[in-house]
Amino acid sequence: MSERSESDRLQREGWLQRMLRRPEIGSFVVMIIIILALAFASNGKAFNALGLKNNIAIIAQLGIIAVGAALLMIAGEFDLSIGPMIAFAGMSIAIMMKWGLPFGLGEATPFLAFLITLCMTLAFGWLIGNIVVRSGLSSFIVTLAFWFFLRGLTEVCFRLINQNTNVSGLPDFKKESWFAEQMGGEVFGWFFDAWYWVGTQVSAGAEFTAEMTKSEKLDMINFLSFLNINRKMEQWVTGFDARLLWFIIIAGAAWYVLARTQLGSWIYATGDNKESARANGVPVNRVKIGLFMFSAFCATIFATCQVFDTNSSDAAKGMFKELEAIAIAVVGGILMTGGFGSIVGVIFGAVTFGLVANAVFFIPWIDGAWFRVFVGTVLLAAVFANERIRKRITGGI
Amino acid sequence: MSKQAYMRVENIVKKFGPFTALNGVDLEVHAGEVHALLGDNGAGKSTLIKILSGVHEPTGGTIYIEGKPTTFRNPRDASAAGIGTVYQDLAVNQLMSVTRNFFMGRELTTRFGALRMDEMNQIAHDEMLKIGINFSDPTQAVGTMSGGQRQTLAIARAIYFGAKVLILDEPTSALGQKQQMEVLKTIKRVRARGDIAIIFITHNEIHSRLIADRYTFLALGEVIGSGTKAELEGEDIRRLMAGGAEIKDLEQELAAI
Ligand SMILES: Nc1ncnc2c1ncn2[C@@H]1O[C@H](COP(=O)(O)OP(=O)(O)OP(=O)(O)O)[C@@H](O)[C@H]1O
Ligand SMILES: [Mg+2]
Repeated sequence: MSERSESDRLQREGWLQRMLRRPEIGSFVVMIIIILALAFASNGKAFNALGLKNNIAIIAQLGIIAVGAALLMIAGEFDLSIGPMIAFAGMSIAIMMKWGLPFGLGEATPFLAFLITLCMTLAFGWLIGNIVVRSGLSSFIVTLAFWFFLRGLTEVCFRLINQNTNVSGLPDFKKESWFAEQMGGEVFGWFFDAWYWVGTQVSAGAEFTAEMTKSEKLDMINFLSFLNINRKMEQWVTGFDARLLWFIIIAGAAWYVLARTQLGSWIYATGDNKESARANGVPVNRVKIGLFMFSAFCATIFATCQVFDTNSSDAAKGMFKELEAIAIAVVGGILMTGGFGSIVGVIFGAVTFGLVANAVFFIPWIDGAWFRVFVGTVLLAAVFANERIRKRITGGI
Repeated sequence: MSKQAYMRVENIVKKFGPFTALNGVDLEVHAGEVHALLGDNGAGKSTLIKILSGVHEPTGGTIYIEGKPTTFRNPRDASAAGIGTVYQDLAVNQLMSVTRNFFMGRELTTRFGALRMDEMNQIAHDEMLKIGINFSDPTQAVGTMSGGQRQTLAIARAIYFGAKVLILDEPTSALGQKQQMEVLKTIKRVRARGDIAIIFITHNEIHSRLIADRYTFLALGEVIGSGTKAELEGEDIRRLMAGGAEIKDLEQELAAI
């Protein structure tokens, strides 16, 4: 008996058991259910060539800001200013593209407009972070104040400079600017090219004929849409929205930092037990300020993609986006109290939310407001699930 | 004094707003010695060691490291000067793994900032084993460890990172008998190395008698007695620990209830 040591008390688990205990498992299961349900209810239309492109677009869009919100939540803080930051950044870029650089410095290029805007949003992020760490106030209140401040500032700037609360009908900058194309254009064209090529092989010989009935024609169109072929038998969809690339870059970087770097350890430590982290030499204030700036960066990328995609912007952009970003993070398994969570879970959460937000386009008989009903329900369930995980890890307190 | 104290503090004052937690405290620690810091609840022991480890800045007074006056702006400074601290309120992050706790703030990284995780797991495991706990899975969350194991983790961490002064704030208070003795053994082993000075805070008279070489007694933020074991021979340690109150009086008061 005396040969028993501490290490004998821990049961060795197989990889399946390990997988089932991972914090992302809940969000993964929800995601799979949503994918299957949507595929079924839309007769698969949600995942034909155009459906996939549109779904990925919104998933990437929400995912970009959710990653920023998630890192901040892991470090124990909230950012309610994400939505207004999106509106502010969109306003700033659109106005510079229309009216030129500030102080009469001449014409703006898309990249310059982005760069100047990014400097401003990062400065706001820095300011928010500093106020939070220096005052010791809850970030909920501080960023709520910035919610009002930035929403107001955006509208005032629009009206003062453009005499209107929006800018629309900008020229399409994607044609001449490489940068605008990378933000608002298309990426991974090869994916749809390959899809089309496979489609032509599969559909070889199929064509519309005069003697087809209307329903036969519809079936044919539906069939071709899964082969990325349009009615004129040409390639239908040519690429994903460029947002996808940014989502991959941002989520990939965030995953790497969290899981594999010193900074990642510091982010977890800051949110888990700030005093202990500080006592061990973790610069918790700098970590927090940096993450508020990162959140502002994500909002700016979101806005830049939007402006150069639609060639317009208005003061109401980014409405509710801060709440959606937080909701996605929570559904993805990030603890409200900080210190725990993973980017993989957040990606699952973003897929789930994106698909449900878009469902109305693929299932015509559904009322779009069900989206919010769904979000509320899943959010509550996720909070309970996360709390159980936290208790299990901390031994029940 | 034959040899120079590794660390010496003079006239340390600490105020929290209107409240004076420490009012002119002196203390010195020598390599290879255990210095017991004793005093009643609220005497200011934890506050003092938080100043020594850079968590609080003192309102007044000076810290000398090897005779040179030094200021610690943050815990990193203190740790760079060789102060390793195991806090009473256990400076661990429950949701994080043993390894991440072990290396917190001093992670081993590649040139590009990536963690050398395998190496860190191995070191955490080996160092814990050296002072008596065999932990098979260093990726386990600290929240699942027992109090004694957490204490061991914190001590192993401080020693591994080259502490010249090891500060232990009530390391035995949350432990069962056997684990208390394990921690005392660990302290003796560290003392026997001869190169580390230990500050040991406890409320347990027996523990302090077992391992201390030098004593300082605090009461209401001031030193009410200090000296080596030999100098204090015959003094009533229990009386000083109770902040100067006579134990007999206390016993009478108790009996009167
Ligand atoms: N951050 C703080 N702000 C205000 N007062 C404080 C702070 N930290 C400690 N104090 C006060 O300073 C006094 C000394 O506290 P300290 O924790 O140093 O006592 P201690 O000797 O360690 O007691 P114990 O044996 O109970 O651990 C207490 O009265 C405490 O309330
Ligand atoms: Mg104390």
